[in-house]
Amino acid sequence: MVSTMLLTAAVASTAVNTGIDEEARLPYWEIVEPGVSIRLVQRLPDQTRGFFQARGFSVEDSELIAQGCVFQTVFKNSSALSEPDTIEYNLRNWVVRAGAARRGLKTREDWRKEWSARQAPQSAQLAFEWSLLPTRQTYRPGDYNWGMTLFDLKPGTEFDLDIVWHQDGRKRMVRLKGVRCAADVQLKPGDL
Amino acid sequence: MSERIHIVFIFAVLLLWLSAGAAAAAETGKIQTLPPLSKPFAAPDFSLKGEDGKTYRLPDYRGKVVVLNFWATWCPPCRYEMPSMERAHQKVKGEEIVILAVNVGEDENTVFAFTGQYPVSFPLPLDLDGSVVAKYPVIGLPTTFIIDPRGQVTHRAIGGREWDDERLFDQLRQMIKPPGGPSGESR
Repeated sequence: MVSTMLLTAAVASTAVNTGIDEEARLPYWEIVEPGVSIRLVQRLPDQTRGFFQARGFSVEDSELIAQGCVFQTVFKNSSALSEPDTIEYNLRNWVVRAGAARRGLKTREDWRKEWSARQAPQSAQLAFEWSLLPTRQTYRPGDYNWGMTLFDLKPGTEFDLDIVWHQDGRKRMVRLKGVRCAADVQLKPGDL
Repeated sequence: MSERIHIVFIFAVLLLWLSAGAAAAAETGKIQTLPPLSKPFAAPDFSLKGEDGKTYRLPDYRGKVVVLNFWATWCPPCRYEMPSMERAHQKVKGEEIVILAVNVGEDENTVFAFTGQYPVSFPLPLDLDGSVVAKYPVIGLPTTFIIDPRGQVTHRAIGGREWDDERLFDQLRQMIKPPGGPSGESR
């Protein structure tokens, strides 16, 4: 069940695909343009709780992450090697718009300070850091990452996201409208 | 008239089939890339204990092409590329190409359990504290480096690949043969 809607953003007019991710069986928001694709897939708070508790975080710290609106983000350079297109991004340039509030994303580096202050186990910190989408990345043709992005919003919140990247030196910006954090549904065995 | 419709239909199906094939080929071509580094660098050495209890030292592989993969069990693209890496490992037996898949931050039991689901026969060194991955320019998993027989890191792939793809193999095999020589330097 995939629907496509045209969103007119102030910065760019681009098609945003929405639907249900086949593997996660959860909603996604995606832009696909020549040489690049970016997909945000909801993660349920319960999945996130389980994931981080299994990696050594305390119940309290896992809850902090789980309640922070987590998405699995897949960022790809889909250009062919014969037409080299370098893609660069920096999450610090992305803007979260929720209601009247505008703010940036909390990155690996921000979280590192927080986990250090909360004295999270080193192995848990390492797993957390590698689980997140890199703060900055440069993709050559065929390169991609999967990583979590955290938006520091309550479960069920709707928001817009300004995604910024540079493609062969040219700045691109697309606004994903109406992205929704997953509700805090407590899963029972056999629900997925 | 019906014969004409029949011919048009066959032509349309043929066209659709050809375009689908071309699209699939283009997609495969896009994904199976092995981008060269603009500035090759000397591979930082390491010595790590593997999931099998053996110790793996990078300098021991000098003279071979090393496919050095950094991964974790929880990382979906890392899992997806493992079977193709195993097929690649089987293909290159007897050739001077080795695969080392360094697990980042997980213990022996976790990796052992993983190999129950994804059986592999190449070495899985364990970088328990992340000190080895920190020596390499890795900012997302999986990342794979190609190290030439002289110990220079020459290529980097960010994200998973189909490692048994012939085009990737051709690139690796070319690296075994130095310019003007029949084979690479011996170990």
